Amino acid sequence: MTKGWKGYKAGGFYDDLITDKGSPRTAARQALRLLQSLPEEDMDSRRQSADLAIREMGISFTVYTEGGNIDRAWPFDIIPRIITGREWAQVSRGLQQRSRALNCFIHDVYNQQRILADGIVPADIVLDSPNFKAPCVGMSPRYGAWAHICGSDLVRDQRGRFFVLEDNLRVPSGVSYMVENREITKRVLPELFENYSILPVDDYPLKLYETLAQLSPRQRRRPTVVVLTPGIYNSAYFEHAFLAQGMGAELVEGTDLFVDSDDCVYMRTVDGPARVDVVYRRIDEEFMDPEAFRADSVLGVPGLMRAWKQGNVAIANAPGAGVADDKVIYAYVPDMIRYYLGEKPLVNSVPTYLCMREKDRDYVLANLPKLVVKPANESGGYGIMVGPHSSKTTHREFARLIEKDPRNYIAQPTLSLSTAPTYVDGQIEPRHLDLRPFILQGRDCWVTPGGLTRVAMKKGSLVVNSSQGGGSKDTWVVEGKA
Amino acid sequence: MTMLSSVADRLYWMSRYLERAEDTARLVAAYNHLIMDIPRGSEPPWDIMIRILDAEQAFEERYRTVSEQNVIKLLIADTHAPCSIPFAIKSARENVRTTRDVLPEDAWELVNELHLYVAESAKSSVGRRNRQTFLAEIIARCQMINGLLLSTLSRDHTYRFIKLGRLLECADMGTRVVDVGAGDILDRAGSRAAIDPLLWGALLQALSATSAYRREVGPIVEQDDVVNFVFAQANFPRSVKFCIAGIREELTPLRNNENALRAINRLRRRLGRLGKEALTREELHAFIDEFQLQLSALHQSISDAWFRTDGS
Repeated sequence: MTKGWKGYKAGGFYDDLITDKGSPRTAARQALRLLQSLPEEDMDSRRQSADLAIREMGISFTVYTEGGNIDRAWPFDIIPRIITGREWAQVSRGLQQRSRALNCFIHDVYNQQRILADGIVPADIVLDSPNFKAPCVGMSPRYGAWAHICGSDLVRDQRGRFFVLEDNLRVPSGVSYMVENREITKRVLPELFENYSILPVDDYPLKLYETLAQLSPRQRRRPTVVVLTPGIYNSAYFEHAFLAQGMGAELVEGTDLFVDSDDCVYMRTVDGPARVDVVYRRIDEEFMDPEAFRADSVLGVPGLMRAWKQGNVAIANAPGAGVADDKVIYAYVPDMIRYYLGEKPLVNSVPTYLCMREKDRDYVLANLPKLVVKPANESGGYGIMVGPHSSKTTHREFARLIEKDPRNYIAQPTLSLSTAPTYVDGQIEPRHLDLRPFILQGRDCWVTPGGLTRVAMKKGSLVVNSSQGGGSKDTWVVEGKA
Repeated sequence: MTMLSSVADRLYWMSRYLERAEDTARLVAAYNHLIMDIPRGSEPPWDIMIRILDAEQAFEERYRTVSEQNVIKLLIADTHAPCSIPFAIKSARENVRTTRDVLPEDAWELVNELHLYVAESAKSSVGRRNRQTFLAEIIARCQMINGLLLSTLSRDHTYRFIKLGRLLECADMGTRVVDVGAGDILDRAGSRAAIDPLLWGALLQALSATSAYRREVGPIVEQDDVVNFVFAQANFPRSVKFCIAGIREELTPLRNNENALRAINRLRRRLGRLGKEALTREELHAFIDEFQLQLSALHQSISDAWFRTDGS
């Protein structure tokens, strides 16, 4: 048995596999029995074969550093995370509800702006936000769907309840790693699968294709879908290629496309120009079209917005969808659910203090050591202060930042992220996790079974971002009794 | 099936680089055999391979003296020189990395593994002891990748541009080997008649043509027969004629192919004139020189017609 299984203690956090008393959770029992029966050397050789598989499959991501870009092998922990189908069904319904409400919101703010007029969400925080894109006003994408692909970050508290931490509506990434993690586990721990029925995850590209194809402006049996990537040096290039291949779509860069005088989008092919129906853009809208947004962008396609506004091409996620991807707007999602759907939120949000509100700000400034402070408009875990883990100097620095630009900061109570047994340096130790499921919204709404679990590989750390040393785990949603 | 111009471009180069890596490995392996068979002092100089690969400049930038060690280091262990095996494989890998979506699933893994193998083994394979194993492994892995592509790709544009790249590179390498190799043999004509068959044999071996030649022509290896075989044998898949015919076959169904067809027809006519009479060393060299120029014109017309991304 590997060191660390005996006397494993999550230390007051909810552990996804092992209870406080040290016994396996029901769904994890079979898996733990097998993993604990493996001799130490065996565990290590499985880990090595996982590393090898990752290198051979070329699963990598790019990290930007001052010294240039480094292509790193995907960090992976071989012990899967296990969630029961029953738990997941409820989360999944909650995520669908959220996605519906968020799309209603985006559609509303670019059209009637009812929610602003009714004072549910203050108009200025929407209309003055850099994420509100004036060129999108009056647009009406099919099915009222703007954020077709959403990656929501979830965590579990001490009681194991799921909370949504944020909704990524711009160009969420990570889904390819979700699929590849399963593939690696199949290769290195095939015995684990014997006693389980695990919901498959490898049909994601197909579901994505169905969602995108529904958006096509031309009614064709097989619409032309392209994945628009910023290029090989983007940190998620691996994923762009993975999805294009999985969908049988073309992977294009800006220079492969052009908009002709008929305001339609074409790609340059060896047979001449070919019309494009749907662009799945993995490029920020700021860089998407130098005519409409940043003129200095060399990544985009001049005229793409024009073609979209004429209804000649569908773009996913729709330009402007990022208006709902803002940590201040996040605080209003429960209100949106009640307002647009007349329903009670099915999945929890984290209580959020908006520094722009005086009362909230006073509370935040007085309680910095207890709180997590985040800039409203950053992603990748940058610019975050985790109060309990930060020095007094950092607290003071953030107090200054907040006072200077209160609109740009929110604060949340420090959540106790759940843990799972993780194989680190030859031992089993608890490590904190989050979970990013992906929600597809077209005519229908669909949620991945599970998602991408990210692990903070450093002891006690809550930072799970792969760009900052985080790892990942295969995530199982298991049906029935195991 | 649509094919992006930029993707066609990368596929073509992936294929050229893979073929180049394999051909370079064959060339070095054949030379290795030769030096063990031949009396000391009568072997062609080490830099003959540098001349065949047009790598004089890269060599001079790195080394002062022409020695076995230096030549082999450049060809099989240097990661930056465009004539080296690691460079060709790295470039092939970069091109596969950006075309994974049109290739069979295993293609990326195989090319990536080849890249990892070279990165790990090249340095320790410079010495004679590991050299042959290394080269054999490169050749085998390249063939495996070719086999995968040949047996799983639909016969559409993806296959077409891969085939174009491979055949063009193969024709290019064949003409280079004959040009420099035959030149070296002819320069010493008469003086060492006893070893001439060994040299011509090595030349065939460098092109993987030994057994095909034996069956087609016979066991006796002679200049005119060898040159004719390498250039004009219609059935041998590495002969220049076979490559040119294959390229023509793939160009024909493409749109916008007028210039490329014109270039390929010029090459065919030139090949047709070969073998009518015996060539002197100078005539052979002049013939190949002209042929090489026309091959590069063919490459240019392919690139102009299908890879350019600025026009539409």
